[in-house]
Amino acid sequence: MAKTYDYLFKLLLIGDSGVGKTCVLFRFSEDAFNTTFISTIGIDFKIRTIDLDGKKIKLQIWDTAGQERFRTITTAYYRGAMGIMLVYDITNEKSFENIKNWIRNIEENASSDVEKMLLGNKCELEDKRQVSKERGEQLAVEYGIKFIETSAKASIRVEEAFFTLARDIKANTEKKLEASNPPKGGHQLKATEPQRKPTNWLSRCTLL
Amino acid sequence: MPDCSENYEGEIQDGFNIRSIKCKYCNSTILKPLTATFTTIEFQLPFMKQITGEDVGTEDLSLFWLVADMLIFENVGFSNTVGNNKYLICADCESGPIGYFDVISKKSYVALNRIKHC
Repeated sequence: MAKTYDYLFKLLLIGDSGVGKTCVLFRFSEDAFNTTFISTIGIDFKIRTIDLDGKKIKLQIWDTAGQERFRTITTAYYRGAMGIMLVYDITNEKSFENIKNWIRNIEENASSDVEKMLLGNKCELEDKRQVSKERGEQLAVEYGIKFIETSAKASIRVEEAFFTLARDIKANTEKKLEASNPPKGGHQLKATEPQRKPTNWLSRCTLL
Repeated sequence: MPDCSENYEGEIQDGFNIRSIKCKYCNSTILKPLTATFTTIEFQLPFMKQITGEDVGTEDLSLFWLVADMLIFENVGFSNTVGNNKYLICADCESGPIGYFDVISKKSYVALNRIKHC
């Protein structure tokens, strides 16, 4: 069967336990079902298809559930990751402070060109807020990454966050493709074409 | 066989699904038309609703949509591995299992009676 998508992006959700990563795991529906059977086994990953500027993009999204402490997450887990959503809970100061530890862990273990985004979750719980929006923004600026506050429970901007991350990865990927494929240059292009195909980034993405 | 009570013949054309495959509960699109092939295989799939405190109740199913590659799915969730399988769930409302994934063959099977065609 012909390939049904243009790009495949592997994304990870990283953050302390209890920050609502499981809810952020691309759940757009408000009434979650989650039978006892499935919740006992746990969810490994989800596949999502989105349309981004006319390109069909498959997102494969993993949650760190079950290995919540950053010390336990090592290189193997980050392998192949192209985007990381760093999630903290705006009602939990400690989860925000730990973002720095998570970023250090990513720097030590993940590919250096992985796209990162900071996500302050549970913004529907304004009366319990411990981390101001400004502090979130400031931290994001410090690390040169994008920031958004979301409410996974009310589906506020969760979708937008994933689209933003996917758009950045897509731009990066296309930039790299262009760099390895100098734009239309007559005879030279033809000569390099057959060698280019095997080094296409998709061929480096192995699944599971 | 409980899953013969519905008429699925009209859903199959040249072995493929004519219509989209969606979640029964939240309407999330799981598969687009003509992306899965009809197959019969015996599998004991746990019920979507379980009675708490009792052993996992299963249903003997035999009518499935075979999905050759997991990236063919529009939207779907995979559970952690149990034995040689992962269970498939709706990516949006997380209802399930709607089918299973065979870790060895890497093929997915979506039960016809756990989803809707529309």
